[in-house]
Amino acid sequence: MIENLRFLSYRNIADGEVALSSRRVFLVGENGQGKSNFLDAIYLLCFGSSFRGTRDSEAVRKGGSIFSLIGNFARDGMKESVCIRFENGKKTIRSGDKPVRDRKDLVARYPTIVFCHSDFEFAHGEPERRRFFFDQTASLAHPGYIDSFRDFRRVLKTRNLALKGKRVNILDVLDEQLVTYGISLSERRQSITTEFSGVFSDNHEKVSRIGSRVSIEYRPSWKFVGDRGKALDELRRRRPDELALGTTLSGPHRDRFSFIEAARDFTTTASTGQLRLLSLLLRTAQADYCTRVTGRAPVLLLDDVLLELDPDKRSRFMETLPDHEQAIFTFLPGEPYETYLTDDALVYWVDHGRFTSKNGC
Amino acid sequence: MKALEDLVALLSRLPGIGKKSASRIAFHLLKADESFARTLAERISRLRESVRFCSVCGAYTESDPCPVCSSPARDRSILCVVEQPQDVLTIEAGREYLGLYHVLGGLIAPLDGVGPENLHLDALERRVRTGGIREIIIATNPTVEGDTTALYVKKILAGTGAEVTRLATGIPVGGDLEYADRLTLARSFRGRVRL
Repeated sequence: MIENLRFLSYRNIADGEVALSSRRVFLVGENGQGKSNFLDAIYLLCFGSSFRGTRDSEAVRKGGSIFSLIGNFARDGMKESVCIRFENGKKTIRSGDKPVRDRKDLVARYPTIVFCHSDFEFAHGEPERRRFFFDQTASLAHPGYIDSFRDFRRVLKTRNLALKGKRVNILDVLDEQLVTYGISLSERRQSITTEFSGVFSDNHEKVSRIGSRVSIEYRPSWKFVGDRGKALDELRRRRPDELALGTTLSGPHRDRFSFIEAARDFTTTASTGQLRLLSLLLRTAQADYCTRVTGRAPVLLLDDVLLELDPDKRSRFMETLPDHEQAIFTFLPGEPYETYLTDDALVYWVDHGRFTSKNGC
Repeated sequence: MKALEDLVALLSRLPGIGKKSASRIAFHLLKADESFARTLAERISRLRESVRFCSVCGAYTESDPCPVCSSPARDRSILCVVEQPQDVLTIEAGREYLGLYHVLGGLIAPLDGVGPENLHLDALERRVRTGGIREIIIATNPTVEGDTTALYVKKILAGTGAEVTRLATGIPVGGDLEYADRLTLARSFRGRVRL
């Protein structure tokens, strides 16, 4: 659980400390007051990067040159702290008194799932966004996946460079490596999708009540997962085109994930509301799946997630909220957030980056 | 003190030496016996004059060919391919390997602008095709670039009749599973052996 956060020169949030010592925290305020920035600060401490894809330099408050964030966590009776400091154009991360050299060390330590507006792209966006979602799910549940993914990306980048430079003499070797790392990635994606789809379908059936199950199908670029010979053949067959275009045209970087309902692509027939719900339930399933695999419930960050759902779906979504160590919600003042309050919930009114407790503390 | 500052600046350019360590070394040299500083300076300047590359294998040596290449006691049918000259010293320190060496001078890494043409691969091919070598042991590091280079060496030596092998990777002897990193563990599982 995150016990408190300390801010210095971070975006529009006032310098100082905000206590979070409750399992549920509600941040209520008008737009632009600092609610999402607050969630992004937590995400930064848990992932080492922003969930909105902004650069570190953009997190420095206007007129400043540095920012500092400290998060104090309590885990299994132990206290830990993570400090992120941005200074002279460079970000440093420390966990306790030790530097964190690789962001992947944070991901496993503080599992965190963010529900945000751009999640809609997982349901209705470029295939790259879906791959991002499933790669992130796999990395949260299986830390070794990050290493496989990075190895594949490195070989792919090397191969693309060799294609652009017409370095035909090393392409055979790079094909071998791309297939080795690519098949390992595809096999992992396939098994993870099968397990994840079960969790997702159950959740979707409960909340959407559309009367049929929506499942997830993995569609690898190399059709026959695990068949090394066929993957190598595919690379050889397309090599003339690849040399002409200077890029690798097949492999896991071209994999797709589809949402199937009654043997059809659900996203082509679903309404905007249904797609919005689908994206929310992907995050719910991500949390459930990670808890199931790792045995540890994540911290949930829910950024204005209920806005676009009708009242019935909002209630069902809140009832089926996944198991969590802590959940932090943002709401606009007009939203019926009181409906979801629990006895131990902490409510903050957010105004111009200042957080005032409504619980009287 | 310009002399001191210059020395600290030079020392901090050495690998693994930061500014603090460089200052500590500089102050130590000031305090130490004068003959120590003079001998050290002399040895450093002599190093580049006396140490060169072996014209056969590419390892560091004071005599050409190097002691390994000119030793009649070495097994001339086995060749260990390494990335850097210092790798030869590391393997030699183990006193386990009794064959010859070949230093590539780097790894194939197009992302860093290094291609096969930048390495001593032609010389390797010549040695294998003319030297009666029956096994080539590739001892490149277990990284993406090390793997690329190993596969490339295997490819160019295909048809020579020599067997190409690679050093095993995994948990170090006397090591503890608890302290093994994820990548090493994953490689160990992939490279597991039948008992």
